[in-house]
Amino acid sequence: MATVSFKNVYKKYGDQTVVKNLNLEIKDQEFIVLVGPSGCGKSTSLRMLAGLEEVTSGDIYIGDTRVNDMPPKDRDIAMVFQNYALYPHMNVYDNMAFGLRLRKYSASEIDRRVKEAAAILGIEHLLERKPRELSGGQRQRVAIGRAIVREPKVFLMDEPLSNLDAKLRVQMRAELAKLHQKLKTTCIYVTHDQTEAMTMGDRIVVMKDGVVQQVATPSELYNNPKNIFVAGFIGSPAMNFIDCTCIKENDEVCLVNEDGFKFLINDKKLADKLINYHNKKLVFGIRPEDVRGVPGESSKENCQRVRVDVVENLGSETLVYVSFGKQTIVCRFMGSPKHKVGENITIALSPNRYYLFDKESGVSVID
Amino acid sequence: MAGKQLLTRKLIARVFIYTALTIAMVWALMPIVWMVLSSLKTQAGMFSMPPKFIFKPTFSTYAFMFNEGNFGLFLKNSVIASLSSTFIALVLGTLGGYALARGNYKGAKHIAFWIISTRMTPIAAAIVPLYLIFAKFHLMGTALGLVIAYTTFNLPFALWMMMTFFAELPPDMEHAAMVDGATKFQAFYKIALPQVAPGLVATGILCLMFAWNDFAFASVFTSHKTQTIPVAVSLLVSQTGIAWGQAMATGTVIILPMLVAGLAVRKYLVRGLSMGAIK
Ligand SMILES: Nc1ncnc2c1ncn2[C@@H]1O[C@H](COP(=O)(O)OP(=O)(O)OP(=O)(O)O)[C@@H](O)[C@H]1O
Ligand SMILES: [Mg+2]
Repeated sequence: MATVSFKNVYKKYGDQTVVKNLNLEIKDQEFIVLVGPSGCGKSTSLRMLAGLEEVTSGDIYIGDTRVNDMPPKDRDIAMVFQNYALYPHMNVYDNMAFGLRLRKYSASEIDRRVKEAAAILGIEHLLERKPRELSGGQRQRVAIGRAIVREPKVFLMDEPLSNLDAKLRVQMRAELAKLHQKLKTTCIYVTHDQTEAMTMGDRIVVMKDGVVQQVATPSELYNNPKNIFVAGFIGSPAMNFIDCTCIKENDEVCLVNEDGFKFLINDKKLADKLINYHNKKLVFGIRPEDVRGVPGESSKENCQRVRVDVVENLGSETLVYVSFGKQTIVCRFMGSPKHKVGENITIALSPNRYYLFDKESGVSVID
Repeated sequence: MAGKQLLTRKLIARVFIYTALTIAMVWALMPIVWMVLSSLKTQAGMFSMPPKFIFKPTFSTYAFMFNEGNFGLFLKNSVIASLSSTFIALVLGTLGGYALARGNYKGAKHIAFWIISTRMTPIAAAIVPLYLIFAKFHLMGTALGLVIAYTTFNLPFALWMMMTFFAELPPDMEHAAMVDGATKFQAFYKIALPQVAPGLVATGILCLMFAWNDFAFASVFTSHKTQTIPVAVSLLVSQTGIAWGQAMATGTVIILPMLVAGLAVRKYLVRGLSMGAIK
């Protein structure tokens, strides 16, 4: 078990920089998730740590050892690949024993470890099979088994669940979390699925275009996104954004736009801060779960008259897509649908659960 | 009614296809069958009209060849020359092909193309320079010279083939092996190599065939002591006529090992030769 740290790490392919100034301190026993859209450099970061890609500049440490120039075999890490990368000409047992044999463990020790891992993963009956005779979920387990028999310092997992069907993915997600509870090995997990990130990570690293946007716990990320990208990436359905202008009239600070949007800032401290933004462009953000439907044509503060465009019944909850002017908003209401398409309704925006971002920089104005 | 029509049409198509296949097969096999049968007949029986298909086989021609002639020596020469050159081509070709497929060199493609282009040289064009080189290094008439000559053609071919097979293999398995504790070389021979085994076998057979069937190089570079079978056959044509019995027997000996090898590894051959074609 060990800590991992990236210090000012860059990765360039030709003149394209795919990882920019990565700084990350991963604690011992931590389960950390790298998340971000396709092509943002998650795999590249992981592969640099594994020693499969060279580091262009910067340093990577495992424990106290700088590993930049260490071949993969000496780093004492185990990796689970997206396509599993099982050795097709070996059976499951040999796949799992491969790394141990290279390290010259005794046959009895190898046997003990392989059987133990197989028992944990429920694949004891598959040990004689070749990878091509296994289902996707079983291959996945073998790939994990091959990693855990090694008892490495660090686990690396690159989208290990993305080839599984939705149900199996949820099940394996829980099993991986349980496995980590049990083994307590430091784990770095890559995914582009924000639900996976939120449910599994002790901390989450959100990346975009090779740059780390925010490193935080799931709830911190959900409640206090540092910028508009993180806000839009975390949470499903995604946060609603409304372009608006900040206006100070009399003693009140208001957000308005030409679609008839009007939002009054109640928070005195924030209102004071927003004085600097008078007449400047902001982006107002609100999560679908922080929008309520209110009866009648309420003209109360922070209510908005809207038209219902689409209603999606998810059983326990309903997603209602509404619009006013050019603006569309997703609302998440509990229970079965109460609204009809085409109907005009009133929605209330939560007066204290909202987000504000600078339009130009995308950085959160609330801290 | 319509169904019946369709059925007859299918039947006609079937009959047509099988007739065509039968003709093609007879066309291809007839000379071989005739050769093998003739080699088992006496000189007189060979030309009897109409040809007999059922007769008492005699191995007298073979016995004569091995006992009286130098046939055993020629056979040995052929085996040594083709096996050695195939072995060298496979070992070096596999290593080089892997390096070209996996190493991220600048210009790897150009190097690869240059290498395969040497295989496209007409044999006649290679003979003269090789002759001069061999003469200088006293390799004329030696088995080593012949092996080198075959390897100049087999090596680029094997390298190109193996490179193609390796390039098509996803590198993830080797990466997994390296993370698991393998050196680069272990990842190569424990993980990558077994997966291209069919390709390796197919390449080996093709190299073997080139060397085994070669006449041009052998006729120029061998001496009496290092002659191979194809050269030996040509010597059966003398001023006094053609020793048909021996020619047929020798032909059979040339074809037989390739036939057996081909059948034995047929599974690999098909998979190996189609490896490049998949996807
Ligand atoms: N060998 C390479 N040569 C050049 N560019 C590369 C190479 N490997 C990756 N890249 C580029 O680096 C960027 C980051 O790739 P990376 O595989 O790390 O993305 P990712 O975040 O893992 O995406 P995904 O979710 O699709 O797996 C991409 O733009 C990709 O095109
Ligand atoms: Mg990736």
